[in-house]
Amino acid sequence: MAETTPLWAVAVLPFVLVLVALGTAHFDALLAADPAANPGREVLRLLVQQRRRTNAADELLTRLGVVLLPVAAVLAAVVLPLGFRSVSDLADGIVWFNAMEALAWAAVWLAGWGPNSTLSLIGGYRFLAQGLAYELPHMLAITTAALGAESLRVGDVVDAQSGLWFAVWMPAAFVIYLLSAMGMAFWGPFDQPVGRDVAGGAAAELSGVDRIVFLGGRWLLFVVAAAVSVPLFLGGGHGPLLPGWAWTLLKTAAVLALLVWVRRRVPGVRMERYVELAWVVLTPLAILQALVVALVVLNR
Amino acid sequence: MELRARLLRTATSRPGVLLAVCPGAARARLAMERELRSRGWPQVGSPASANLLVIVGDPDPADAEWIDGLWLGIPAPKARVRVREAEDVPSALDEGRASLLVRGKRPEGDAGHVDETHGEGDNHGTTPEHAENNDTHGGHGNHGDDSDSSHHQHGEHDGHDTHDSHSGPDTHSEHDGHGGHDGHGEHDGHGGHGGHGGHGGHGGHGGHGGHGGHDMHAMSVAGLPMADRADDRDGLRLDRLHVPLGPALPDWPAGLVLRLALQGDVVQRAAVEQVPVLPSARRPFWNEPWLRASTGEAVARGLAARRLCAAHLDSLWRYLAVVGWGGAAARARAARDQALAGESSGEVLAAVRPLIRRVQRSRTLRWLTAGLGVLPSDRAASAGVSGPALVAGGDAYDRVGVWLDEVGRAAAAFDDDGWLDAATELSGPRGRVDGGVPPSRALLDVLPGLLEGAEFACARIIVASLDPDLDELVPALRPEVVHG
Repeated sequence: MAETTPLWAVAVLPFVLVLVALGTAHFDALLAADPAANPGREVLRLLVQQRRRTNAADELLTRLGVVLLPVAAVLAAVVLPLGFRSVSDLADGIVWFNAMEALAWAAVWLAGWGPNSTLSLIGGYRFLAQGLAYELPHMLAITTAALGAESLRVGDVVDAQSGLWFAVWMPAAFVIYLLSAMGMAFWGPFDQPVGRDVAGGAAAELSGVDRIVFLGGRWLLFVVAAAVSVPLFLGGGHGPLLPGWAWTLLKTAAVLALLVWVRRRVPGVRMERYVELAWVVLTPLAILQALVVALVVLNR
Repeated sequence: MELRARLLRTATSRPGVLLAVCPGAARARLAMERELRSRGWPQVGSPASANLLVIVGDPDPADAEWIDGLWLGIPAPKARVRVREAEDVPSALDEGRASLLVRGKRPEGDAGHVDETHGEGDNHGTTPEHAENNDTHGGHGNHGDDSDSSHHQHGEHDGHDTHDSHSGPDTHSEHDGHGGHDGHGEHDGHGGHGGHGGHGGHGGHGGHGGHGGHDMHAMSVAGLPMADRADDRDGLRLDRLHVPLGPALPDWPAGLVLRLALQGDVVQRAAVEQVPVLPSARRPFWNEPWLRASTGEAVARGLAARRLCAAHLDSLWRYLAVVGWGGAAARARAARDQALAGESSGEVLAAVRPLIRRVQRSRTLRWLTAGLGVLPSDRAASAGVSGPALVAGGDAYDRVGVWLDEVGRAAAAFDDDGWLDAATELSGPRGRVDGGVPPSRALLDVLPGLLEGAEFACARIIVASLDPDLDELVPALRPEVVHG
C-alpha cells in the first residue's frame, strides 16, 4: 500500500518531470550525434523568439491546446509512485491516468485546428486517427495490469508485484503498453502528428514560448507515459538492496533509454497502416492476454 | 540592456535556418547543408521556428512573392540572406548571424549577401483591390512602419500578425482563394501567372483576393474564402481545400510546387508547377558527367560512379527523412557528403554497406511503403521514364530498392578509370540524359496520376520516391558558355 506524500510534493512534481524530460531529450540528442539537436540551446533560441499569430486564427483554442499538453502530463503523473509514494494514490488511479492522458487528444487537436493553417490541421487530424488506433489495445493493456492486481489503485498494482513482475507473465500487455506510450506522446515512430513531412504538423505554426510549451509538454507526456510502465509492469519500487525510489528511477531510465534507442531503429508509423495492426492483431491479442490473466486470478 | 544583448547573442549563436532552395542550385545547396551541419545550426521545417531565411539560387524575380511569404512568417529576431555560389556559403551565414545580432530587432540587411528585407515587401501586395481586406492591408502598413520602429514586427500589431498567417509554411489559406475562384469560373490561368504567389500565399498577393473579391463575400471569413465542396473518393460530399505544396517544405525537391486539391488529408487532384528561376549557364549538377560525355568530352567512369552514388544517397536521405526514419536519413546524408568530398571507394563502402543492409532488411519500412505510388514498367516506359523508376517498375519500396542497389554498385566503382561510352552509357541518376527531354520531366508527368487518391503522408512519400530533379528543367543560358 503506497503512502501519500507531504503537500510540497505537488509543487516539486513538475520540476522533477521537467528534469527527467530534459535528461531524456539530451540522451536522444546524444544518440543522434547531431550538434543541432541540443535541447537546452533550442529552448534558449526559442525563448528570444517573438510570438506570432496567423490570419483568422482561433487564438483561444490554440493557447488552450498548447497549455493543456504539459498540464495533462503533470496531472497524469500525480498517481505515479516514486518508490512506494505517489503525490496522490487515488483509489482509481489507473482510470485517472488514462483520462488525463486522453486530454492530449484535445490538446493536439486544438493546437492543430487553432492556427487556421492546412499543415497544422493535418497534424491535428493525424493525432485523432492515432488516438483511435492506439487507445483500444492500450486500455486493454492497462486493464490487464489492474486485473492482475484486482485493483485500480496504482499502489496495489505495485504491491501485487512484490514477487513476480507483471511484465513477465503479461508480456503482450507490456509490449502493447510501450507501443501506446509512444503513441500517446506522439513521439518517436509515432510522431506523425508533428511530423517533418507536414513541416511540424500541429506545431507548424507555433513559435517562441508557445513552441517550447507544446513540444516540451510532449516530452513530459512521453516521460510520464514511459514511467507509468514501471509501477504497472516492472514491479515499481520492488528490488533487492537499493531503496524503492532508486529502483523506480533506474527502471524508468531503462525504459526511456530503450524507447529512445528504438526510435532510431525504425521509420515513422503511419496510422493508415497501423490502425489495421492495432485493431486486427493487437486488440485481439490484448483481449487474449486479459483472458489468461483473468483465469489465473480466478484460480488463485 | 547588457544582459539582453548577451542573451540574444547566445540564443542566436546557432540560428534556426529555413532554406528556400531554387532549382539549379544543387551545388550551393549541398555546400549549405554541409556547412550547417558542421556549424551545428538547426535546419528548421517551417517559418514559425526559423531565425534565418537562406535563399539558395537565383529566383526570378529576385524578390519573388513566395520568398516574401516565407519571410513574413518568420517571427523576430530574423534575418535573410541569399547564396548563389557554393563558395559564398560560409560568409553568407556569418553575415546572416551578424545581422541577427547587430540589428537583432530590425533585420534591415543592405550589404553584401544580405537580401533586401521586409521593408521592401511593400511593393507587392498593397494593391488597390486588396484594400477591402483590412487585416492584410493593415499588416502591410505596419510592416512599412517597422523599418524604423524596430522590434515590434511580431506579437503586438494585430495587422502584422494576421499577415503571418498566410506566410506560414507554404500552405496557407490563400488556396482557399482558389476555392472561391472555382465558384465563378475556371481560373487555371490564374494559377499560372500568380503561380509563385501561391506558395507563400500571404494575403498580400492581392492577386488572389483581388480576383475573387467581388463575389467572394458570400462565403468568406476574416477576408479569407471558405473551402468549397466536392465529392470525395467514397462518394461523400466533403470540404475541399486548394493547397499549394512547396517550394520550401523540408526534404522536398528544390523548386517543386504541387497544387493539391485536398479533402481532409486525401489528395484529390494534383498539378505540377515549378519556381521560376533565371536561366543558368551551368549544367545540372547531378547530370553533369553524362551531359559532358554526350558532347564528346572524355569523362572517367569513376567520376560518373561517384556522382551517381552521391545523387542516389541525396535522394535516399530525403526519402528516409520523409518516412520518418531520422537515424538512417542522417547516415545517408553523411555518406553522400563523404562521396562528394572525394573519399575512397573503401571508405564510402564502409559507410554505405551497413546503411543498405539496414534499409533493405527493414520489414517495417516494407510494411509502411509497399503499394505506394505503383508505376508499372509499361506505364513508365510510355511516359518516357528511363531511370530507376523504370527499372523498379513497381511501388515506392521497389524504387528505393533500386537506389540502394545502384548506390552499392557505384560506390565500388570509384576507381574505374575507363571512359564513359557516349553511345551506351548516358544514363544519369534519374534516367537517360540524351533523350532530348530531361528525365525528370517524365517523372513530373507521371506524378499527378500517382498522387490522386493518396493520403497526404503517402503523397509525400511518392514524391520522395521519384525525387524529380528540377535542376534539369532550368532554362539553359546558351551563348558564350559552350566553350567557356
